[in-house]
Amino acid sequence: MSELQIGATVHLTNGATATVKKLLGEGGQGYVYLASVNGKDMALKWYKNPPSSSPEKFYKNLRQNAESGAPAPMFIWPEYVTQHEQGSFGYVMKLRPEGYYEFGQFLINKQRFASLHAIFTSAIEICEAFKALHAKGLSYQDLNDGNFFIDPKTGHVMICDNDNAFPNGEKSGILGKARYMAPEVVTGQRMPDAYTDKFSLAVILFYIIYMNHPFEGMKVLAHPCMTEELDRKCYGSEILFIAHPTDKSNAPIKGLHNNVIKRWPLFPKLLRDSFTREFTAPILNSPNKRLTEMQWLDILTSVRDELIRCPFCGEETFASLQKCLDCGKSIVVSNVLEIEKRRLPLTDGNTLFIDRDDTPDMRIVHTAQDPSKLVIQNLMQNDIEVQTTTGQVRIVKPNEYLPVKVGLQLKLKIRGYQYIAKIQ
Amino acid sequence: MGLLDDVQAVPRRTMTLFLLADVSGSMRGSKIGAVNDAIRNVLPIVNDINDSNADAEIKVAALTFSNGCDWVTPEPKIAADFEWTDQTANGGTDLGAACSELASKLSQSHGFMKSGSGSFAPVLILLSDGGPTDDFERGLSQLKQNNWYKAAIKIAIAIGDDADLEVLAKFTGNIEMVIQVHDVESLKKVIKCVVVTSSQVGSKSSSSSAGADAPETKQEEVGQAIAQQLQGESNVQIGQEAANVTMDDNW
Repeated sequence: MSELQIGATVHLTNGATATVKKLLGEGGQGYVYLASVNGKDMALKWYKNPPSSSPEKFYKNLRQNAESGAPAPMFIWPEYVTQHEQGSFGYVMKLRPEGYYEFGQFLINKQRFASLHAIFTSAIEICEAFKALHAKGLSYQDLNDGNFFIDPKTGHVMICDNDNAFPNGEKSGILGKARYMAPEVVTGQRMPDAYTDKFSLAVILFYIIYMNHPFEGMKVLAHPCMTEELDRKCYGSEILFIAHPTDKSNAPIKGLHNNVIKRWPLFPKLLRDSFTREFTAPILNSPNKRLTEMQWLDILTSVRDELIRCPFCGEETFASLQKCLDCGKSIVVSNVLEIEKRRLPLTDGNTLFIDRDDTPDMRIVHTAQDPSKLVIQNLMQNDIEVQTTTGQVRIVKPNEYLPVKVGLQLKLKIRGYQYIAKIQ
Repeated sequence: MGLLDDVQAVPRRTMTLFLLADVSGSMRGSKIGAVNDAIRNVLPIVNDINDSNADAEIKVAALTFSNGCDWVTPEPKIAADFEWTDQTANGGTDLGAACSELASKLSQSHGFMKSGSGSFAPVLILLSDGGPTDDFERGLSQLKQNNWYKAAIKIAIAIGDDADLEVLAKFTGNIEMVIQVHDVESLKKVIKCVVVTSSQVGSKSSSSSAGADAPETKQEEVGQAIAQQLQGESNVQIGQEAANVTMDDNW
């Protein structure tokens, strides 16, 4: 065992050193220490033993990843690799910021998402992160619930354990974690790659949104002891979606899987259709036809667009549901803002997110004189250029308002990208 | 809102960690002291593993054996609720009785394995420093018919030079899963390593290291992970000792 002592110094390949200050945690693969690098606090991951059957290849890949940098800001990416010393090696990365909790804590109900908006924000951020990772030609190979840290208030995501990210097609030596591996990996027909990542990603998205595992229903639960052989069946050769449209033999059990039982019918049909497509034959067994991160982003963004505040009780609900999830009162969405392929509901109290970050870009309020009259406030830093139905052009400066009036055309700019929108 | 306030924890399968500890007279002194210390210290770690683990709920059960055998708690408990009472060492080594007792509790209908959302195969960790003084074979044969035992991950820790390795290998089914320790400090380290590694079995990613050494079962996987972590430890030996010589082909 190559545990480092407090005060020990290890050398980084860029010439700097990391001095161990404190043990932060210990996993099967290694230790994580708080370390000081050039006077800055960072996390040092130190392997107990070479983490793969070919440690040299692993080390080289780690260095390469560190040099090429994180694919997206959500990754807590290896920044500098250490030299080989004291019988092992490691790498330094940023410390996990405060306020983020392991996704497992949400699953066992020790942490809760503050809002539906936060749930869909985290799903969107995870897709964006893996879109960026795959775009770099990498595959993650070990996507599971232990990789994500989430801020329950905002849904912001940090992704850790990035040391198994290998160029797509290359083997990291990791098969993945049971319950998250693609069925073709479980049955041994395929090694982990970018396509099997997409399956694990869909499992994670389902888990985040519905808070139950997509393949664990009554059929899986019927086995008192999950042996390795059953494992290969339940998650491999005989894998069956809990919401399969015709085969109900693995349906969720009341009392045990209440989250998904409650949410499945209430959440938008687009989600039901997308997960059903992804988790049933023929797509289930066709890795190349799985939804891409880009497609998931479109789906999740349009679902997040549907979120509105109930004008009666103030809770969140989906516009397509036409009623409040909480108080049950019916809600009529009279106007929408059409923007590219999206339709954002213009209901009292709603905030609009035009780009995919979670900073609101506009909000809808009623006027003090007439509560039935709605106006849009510009929350962006840029002006909105509005063309009226008579062709007149008016400028709405930051914090100013425009009326919710059918036919108005809006031109707006966020981070250099121009959007054209229309009130319908 | 109601929907988010009503969230229910996902159902987790239970993974029960059974500690079978020899508390016979020969364990007296520093050996039993080290066992007491190591188990007390490892419980908070097991609790941490359980706390962020959405795959398995880890429960602990401990059976001590000397003249007869006793459960430390009347049923398996999560580590946070498990109270380890410090053991004193006295009497014989009724390992056979311990095996029979274990077999009787490895049962869903009238034992410890009842769980609303199912279980994973249990982990059985046997610690002993001597040979059985009762009818071990009879107890073992009962255990061997038990399906939970068959599926279990079985590891034995042989304490000191007098441990009966053959008996321990019969319990684990494989000499590779018998770890010999020769001093109390190593014993503490090994108990921690074995308990922690086996607790993580349900929540760890599997590797695909190809070749003849690739693990085929969870038991082998855990065995290899433990062996890797204990590599280079003096006073610890895993499996049968092999002579470190190369023989030429002229024999």
